[in-house]
Amino acid sequence: MHNERINLDLGESKTCGLTSYSIPVGPTHPALKEPIRFSFDVEGERIVGVDIQPGFAHRGIEYMGMRRNLIQTLYLSERICGICSISHPLTLVQAVEAAAGIEVPPRAQAIRTIIGEVERIHSHLLWAGVGAHELGFDTLLYLTWNVREKVMDLLEQLTGNRVDYAIPIYGGVRRDIPEEKAHLAYEAIDYYNGALQQLIDAFLHDKSVEMRTRNVGVMTYDQAIALCAVGPTTRASGVKKDVRQDWPYFSYADMDLHAITPEDFGTEPIGDVYDNIIVRLLEVAQSVKIIEHCLETMPGGELLSIPKVPALLAALKKAEGEGIGRHEAPRGEVFHYIRLEAGVEEPAVWKVKAPTYSNLMPWVPKFLGDEIADIPIIAASIDPCMCCMDRVHLVDPHGGKDTLQKAQLIKLSREKTRRVCG
Amino acid sequence: MKPDQVLETLQTSLQDRLLDSHVVERVVAADGRTHPDLWVNVERSVLRDAIAVLLASFTPHLTVISGDDLAEELLLNYHFTVGWGAQFGELNVTVQTSVPKSDLTMPTITDLIPGALTSEREKHEFFGVTFDGIPDDRNLFLPPDMTIHPWRRDEDSQRETDTMVERLVKWENRDA
Repeated sequence: MHNERINLDLGESKTCGLTSYSIPVGPTHPALKEPIRFSFDVEGERIVGVDIQPGFAHRGIEYMGMRRNLIQTLYLSERICGICSISHPLTLVQAVEAAAGIEVPPRAQAIRTIIGEVERIHSHLLWAGVGAHELGFDTLLYLTWNVREKVMDLLEQLTGNRVDYAIPIYGGVRRDIPEEKAHLAYEAIDYYNGALQQLIDAFLHDKSVEMRTRNVGVMTYDQAIALCAVGPTTRASGVKKDVRQDWPYFSYADMDLHAITPEDFGTEPIGDVYDNIIVRLLEVAQSVKIIEHCLETMPGGELLSIPKVPALLAALKKAEGEGIGRHEAPRGEVFHYIRLEAGVEEPAVWKVKAPTYSNLMPWVPKFLGDEIADIPIIAASIDPCMCCMDRVHLVDPHGGKDTLQKAQLIKLSREKTRRVCG
Repeated sequence: MKPDQVLETLQTSLQDRLLDSHVVERVVAADGRTHPDLWVNVERSVLRDAIAVLLASFTPHLTVISGDDLAEELLLNYHFTVGWGAQFGELNVTVQTSVPKSDLTMPTITDLIPGALTSEREKHEFFGVTFDGIPDDRNLFLPPDMTIHPWRRDEDSQRETDTMVERLVKWENRDA
């Protein structure tokens, strides 16, 4: 295993001289979309090498999708991820609509945009809470998740569900946001306009958060480009890349959006965990503005271009062609490629690319050179539910063996917070 | 970014090795505005050149490599996005290349784009493509001892995959 590591030469070079230990972290935690196993090489407290192994929960979703009709595949796609559960169906419908040439009414595009942005608020706040917990700052976790509760209620009121909202379908959306529901969204907007400043103060003007996250888990601009990073992870490094800005789709095509980087907060991008917090919190504010804009300019008209499901299935069965769907999910770009063959109900090819897929490689430079106690927050800096620290083995190559549990690792992290804060 | 710009750059460098290209317009807004997607098909021998040309002239982002088993050959789609950073300036550029089943090898592009490693390792395990010069060819998502290529559609691979799935379904006592 040890000689098969990804050797990327991303800054820190391995030095031999001190006894180096290998620490496996992971592989799995039930809350994760992709349980992951990290293998760290450490010298003392410093991480000098890392190997990443995903795939512990590979469920063969694409294989299953290629054996189901497209409507069943849509429902399946919603179950790829529980946190950004609308991102995959939103992307799949775009790919299929492009391949089959199905039009989407403007009102449906606005509703897709609103639900997508509401989901971004909940996902970013969930991430911020997890980040605070990993730092040992549980008061901030409770504050953040209390603020998040409002948006979960809004999702439930608008769609009927707190996860898996089942809103998009090929050619439109399944549910309207009627006038009597719109005022609930306006209430949430007012609430977040106030609560957000409180969160920004609590995270970004707090000395202990800054000491634990500034210059920790750094990825430079050039590394972000070379490693094909996406989402807030790449924007924290100053890369102005955001599908909503770069590529017209949904109601974003009629909006003036820009990719949020730490420059919007008045600081130079460093690409560390602190910059990740800046980007995600400012994006919550951006999402609130987008929702408000969509509600104010909501077009009237139909929700679906082909309202009857049997007619839709028949149209999809006749369709032939290939299509690409893209969406800026909370964690980064989701990409679907689909190829349809006439006469069969199943997609001939369905390729799904989730944001974590692109952000696997960027973990390597982020970890290198940092300390063991920073592992939880660096792992969490990319993926909001990356709390898979089930167990950690400290293995002495000369035969000695010790085991660190997740609780101990978090204890180490908290001790560091206390230490740096004096 | 205009599709002509990218296409011209590729044509100048690849000449007749660029086998085919087409632009698909997609309606993106209620007023009927469209946005193009560019698809190009190149010979396997010049795929690296095509990517080197894109890298020299633009800042392409490799999203993912997808594969499509077409019986006698495997079609690999290198999905790039070119022109990000400017509002609505981004273009999907898909570089397609065919690999014959009798010789499933491709040159690696990880030396040009280090971030391609995840995608190449995935194609290696799911389609059995060998990438010459890849720094790490271990299985990424599948178990290390798994030798079946689940996305291949030839009879043997299909049978092996289906048998494995049936066994797992029986073991889990669930619907496939």
